[in-house]
Amino acid sequence: MKGFTGKLVGSLYPITEEECKQIHKSAVRVLEEGGMRCDDERAAKMFERAGCKIEQDGKLIKFSEKIIMEAFDKCPSNFKLHGRHDPELDINIGHDEVHFATVTGRYIEDFRTGERRQATRQDAIEGTRIADALENVHGLYKSVMWIYDEPKICNSQILVAEQMKNTNKTSTWVYNTGADHEIPDLIKIWGIAAGGAEALKERPHLIGHVIANPPRVVDVNYTSWLIGFCDAGIPVTVYSALMGGATGPATLAGMLVQIMAETLALVVQVQTYKPGHYLTFCSFNPSMDMRTGLWSFGNPEYGTVGTGIAAMARHYGVPCVGFCICDSCDTDQQTSYEKALKLYNYALSGIALSWDIGGMAGFNFVTWPEMVLENEIASFIGQYLKGIRVDEARMAVDEILEVGPLPGSYLNRRHTRDWYRKEFLIPELSNRDFFESWERGHTELQEKAKHKAAKILETQESPVKPEIQKEIDDYLDFVVKRDVG
Amino acid sequence: MRGPAIDERYFDKLAQTVIDGQEEECLRIIHEGLNNGMDPLEAVEKGLAKGINKVGDDFAEEIVFLPELVMAADVMKAGMKILDEKIKAEGKERKSMGKIVIGTVKGDIHDIGKSVVAAVLQANGFDVIDLGMDVEPDAFIQTVVDNDADCLGMSTLLTLTLSVMGETIKKMGEKGLREKVKVIVGGCPVTQEFGDEVGADAVGFDSKDGLTKVSELLSI
Repeated sequence: MKGFTGKLVGSLYPITEEECKQIHKSAVRVLEEGGMRCDDERAAKMFERAGCKIEQDGKLIKFSEKIIMEAFDKCPSNFKLHGRHDPELDINIGHDEVHFATVTGRYIEDFRTGERRQATRQDAIEGTRIADALENVHGLYKSVMWIYDEPKICNSQILVAEQMKNTNKTSTWVYNTGADHEIPDLIKIWGIAAGGAEALKERPHLIGHVIANPPRVVDVNYTSWLIGFCDAGIPVTVYSALMGGATGPATLAGMLVQIMAETLALVVQVQTYKPGHYLTFCSFNPSMDMRTGLWSFGNPEYGTVGTGIAAMARHYGVPCVGFCICDSCDTDQQTSYEKALKLYNYALSGIALSWDIGGMAGFNFVTWPEMVLENEIASFIGQYLKGIRVDEARMAVDEILEVGPLPGSYLNRRHTRDWYRKEFLIPELSNRDFFESWERGHTELQEKAKHKAAKILETQESPVKPEIQKEIDDYLDFVVKRDVG
Repeated sequence: MRGPAIDERYFDKLAQTVIDGQEEECLRIIHEGLNNGMDPLEAVEKGLAKGINKVGDDFAEEIVFLPELVMAADVMKAGMKILDEKIKAEGKERKSMGKIVIGTVKGDIHDIGKSVVAAVLQANGFDVIDLGMDVEPDAFIQTVVDNDADCLGMSTLLTLTLSVMGETIKKMGEKGLREKVKVIVGGCPVTQEFGDEVGADAVGFDSKDGLTKVSELLSI
């Protein structure tokens, strides 16, 4: 599935190359002098194998620059995430193409009734179907955070199963419940969806998340996920989840240094466990709202640090992905400006995949009309990214000389007919009526989005082969019997 | 050499150390004051409490924010440790808005949110016993009993450790504590529905909400 490309992708540099070197040097100093606390014996062994200095009975790991750069030598500079049984849905994770994906939420605003409620299994299915239908959604996060009408113990398995049964688009996964069978069960389901465990290795269709516990702790649970993802051949994204002013410094450069320190440690961990494994950096860097103590995602600092992480990724020669998300608790102008600004900045900085479409209020709620609206925002961004392409045909000098001066018009010209669709965005939902016509009667933007969401759900069928759906259902039956009885 | 005059200006200096987040200076003034006959109860009311109330009011007005509040609470805590010992030694008693034991549950090492709530409660006159993180249910309960606390606050960031809250509340019930001791829970995965399910008296969604709910629970 071709992402958005163009002259402006990767054109934003919030820090210079010289400043990237300073950030690198500072991150290395943090790891050399301060190290990472390691709460996991398996992780400690990985770091020991890498040649790190192990202190405090395996609880403190210190890194040299040599070890870090050796790890980067093993990192591929780009890779492909594959559509399941549909190469048209493949996406390139590198530096030249930008993609957008959905994000998740615990609650849903039911667009049919207006009710805000806990998400259900049916919502997970519908969210997946809508994402599957939208042309600017290149991948999916779980459509809802949690399914409240299903048992806790196998919640993740049901969520993933329903996603795998309703779309062939690429996916992602962040650790959910930590239940014992979660990792092998999910890997099994992803494998079934791919066409088998070997097919999953050859054509991975999701990114797995491996996250440090800030400040400067290698997490036990994520080490388990690292092992699971790497063994299954699933690319990983490694990052810090620090909160500026709380678990990270209250300066943007300081946040970037600590993020890099924690990320570099995870790069070493991944490349030691499985040399050459695909990985990316990731932007997930809220700051604390100092009025409430809550994490804030929609703020400009989040976006700026995110673009800084992308710059560092380019410096090291690895791709970068990121979460966008907003703070607004409604489908309002705040959602639009927080998201559009950040998504655009991310795209300019070359972030290859941004999880943002359809969710609001941190990870707290989703609504399908918003997913539809943000699909349109994505199209605007894609258009901006093209920049101005300059060539003989586009400069159109012969055309200009022929048509002008007045009363010449371009409207009925072959050149106009050939080019307008390629050069101009024709939005689906955005209003362009003349004001007085609009005043006389119009459909509100939200209504248009609801109408489109409803239409998709009436008509969109699962593209997943019935035999794959059945195999997933059979495995899920086994899981539910095992865990629930 | 004569010591300083222990008067309103002296207590204002003490209050200012809380406002400015100056722990070393706070402790210096307290030790100096106590050595010169300062009444520890007055030091609390006219010094530390005055300072923390000012910070609390400024926080409510959005003149200062969490960094100032948390530092002020830390200074207050350090000062109160010394003054409370002295008050006890003199056989006196100190008034309190209410006593709250707070901590992050067993299995979770995230404590920023909980510390913010603790600071806000302290800034508003509550006595807070912060047990930190990774706290066993029995440790919560024993601390509540030992300190005759009015309220227990439990926090978690992880879905996995939610069950510890329910376990703790259940054990409190078995020990007959639920009549007297209120329970408030909070943290990223904690919903109202979850709070109701485990029998908590309230769910706090952020630090200000936590303060409002604790005040309501203790009928302040």
